[in-house]
Amino acid sequence: MRIHLKMRGSTYREIIRDLVRPHPFATERVGFVFGRTGSLANQGKVILINRYHSIPDSHYVEDPTVGARIGSEALTWAMQAVYHGRPSREGIFHIHMHGHKGEPGMSATDAFEIPKVLPGFQSTGRHASHGIIILSRDHGSAWVWLPASQGPARADAVIVVGAPVGMFERSAT
Amino acid sequence: MSRGRYSRQSFLGPNSKEMISRTTVAVVGLGGGGSHVVQQLAHIGFQRYVVYDDDIVEDSNLNRLVGATSLDAIAETPKLHIAKTVIYALQPNAAVRGFACRWQEKPEPLRECQIVFGCVDSYKGRHELEIACRRYLMHYIDIGMDVHGDEPPVIGGQVILSSPGSLCMRCVGFLTDEKLAEEASRYGAGSRPQVIWPNGVLASTAVGLAVDLITGWTRRERGYVYLVYDGNQATLKESFTLRNIKIAACKHFAEDDVGDPVLIDL
Repeated sequence: MRIHLKMRGSTYREIIRDLVRPHPFATERVGFVFGRTGSLANQGKVILINRYHSIPDSHYVEDPTVGARIGSEALTWAMQAVYHGRPSREGIFHIHMHGHKGEPGMSATDAFEIPKVLPGFQSTGRHASHGIIILSRDHGSAWVWLPASQGPARADAVIVVGAPVGMFERSAT
Repeated sequence: MSRGRYSRQSFLGPNSKEMISRTTVAVVGLGGGGSHVVQQLAHIGFQRYVVYDDDIVEDSNLNRLVGATSLDAIAETPKLHIAKTVIYALQPNAAVRGFACRWQEKPEPLRECQIVFGCVDSYKGRHELEIACRRYLMHYIDIGMDVHGDEPPVIGGQVILSSPGSLCMRCVGFLTDEKLAEEASRYGAGSRPQVIWPNGVLASTAVGLAVDLITGWTRRERGYVYLVYDGNQATLKESFTLRNIKIAACKHFAEDDVGDPVLIDL
């Protein structure tokens, strides 16, 4: 099944501007974006990102073993947002950035830590798609938990509909 | 000097060939305007197409339909077939998804595009395409021409770029309720005059906008464009309606109004 994730150029710029800001103690930043689902041909799906939420500095927890760890306040806020997004089937995506160029993948820490929050999002917003987005300096990757799915599906492309258009395609495996 | 196929357009940027080939474009309407657009996209190097037209070639199309011949009018060749032939002749490995129907009957493939060219005849058709492009986050580039009056006849036309998050065709003053109502009142009133050269000007401008959106070669960040063609003066200028425009954000399309419509229990 083909899965695309799209966002406006203005949203992409807002995300990048926020995520590259230094934090008082964390070595990287994370955020949340929200998106709704559209249908593509052959049961494919497109996730349409409509807004970004920057996490306040005070919602990070000091943990030298990871680049950034957010605390219960940020996660509670995210769960409430998913709850309020239920009527429009709006899902939430954890997003952060790696400092290199090229197609980003999940680090060992990413793969161990971030997916833990997805079951909570899925149980609250059962009819929405949720997931994880990782950007690099010139690319992006996404993992999407479709409604009722047990695990993620890797998005085939992350697309920035701006000027210029960003077309970040998953490499063939 | 390199003699590579795209060496003469290398000013578009070092990765422009890849950027262009990765972009999926839709052309809705493959008549006078759309046939020019398709031909130019294929020359530039686009590889991924979604094209729609449910019409066949007739004698009255041959004054402007790029790629069509007298034989096509006799054979009643689908315009879709003409477009595919033009594309494959230049890009034999292109992925062309063609639909001999209205786009509304097969809307899903359209949603995979990054740029949609609207080459349709009606305000209603343009309006519906723009709505789809906003809802599924696609750049929409509209072209159209018309001939008014007879003392002398006046050729007019437009090229409009409507991008998600930016001003729409209503914001810039092109689409109005009055125009839509007036068009609806004369539904079925017959075909409008059409000639090849304005379509060529408008299609070329539209393709140029698309290439700039993809490659960013002009270093201009465009969210909206509204160019007005005066075929009698042979000019293409920014619409005067933009001069006094006071709005910074579109008030007709909400930013969160995206994705498949959801039924909400009341």
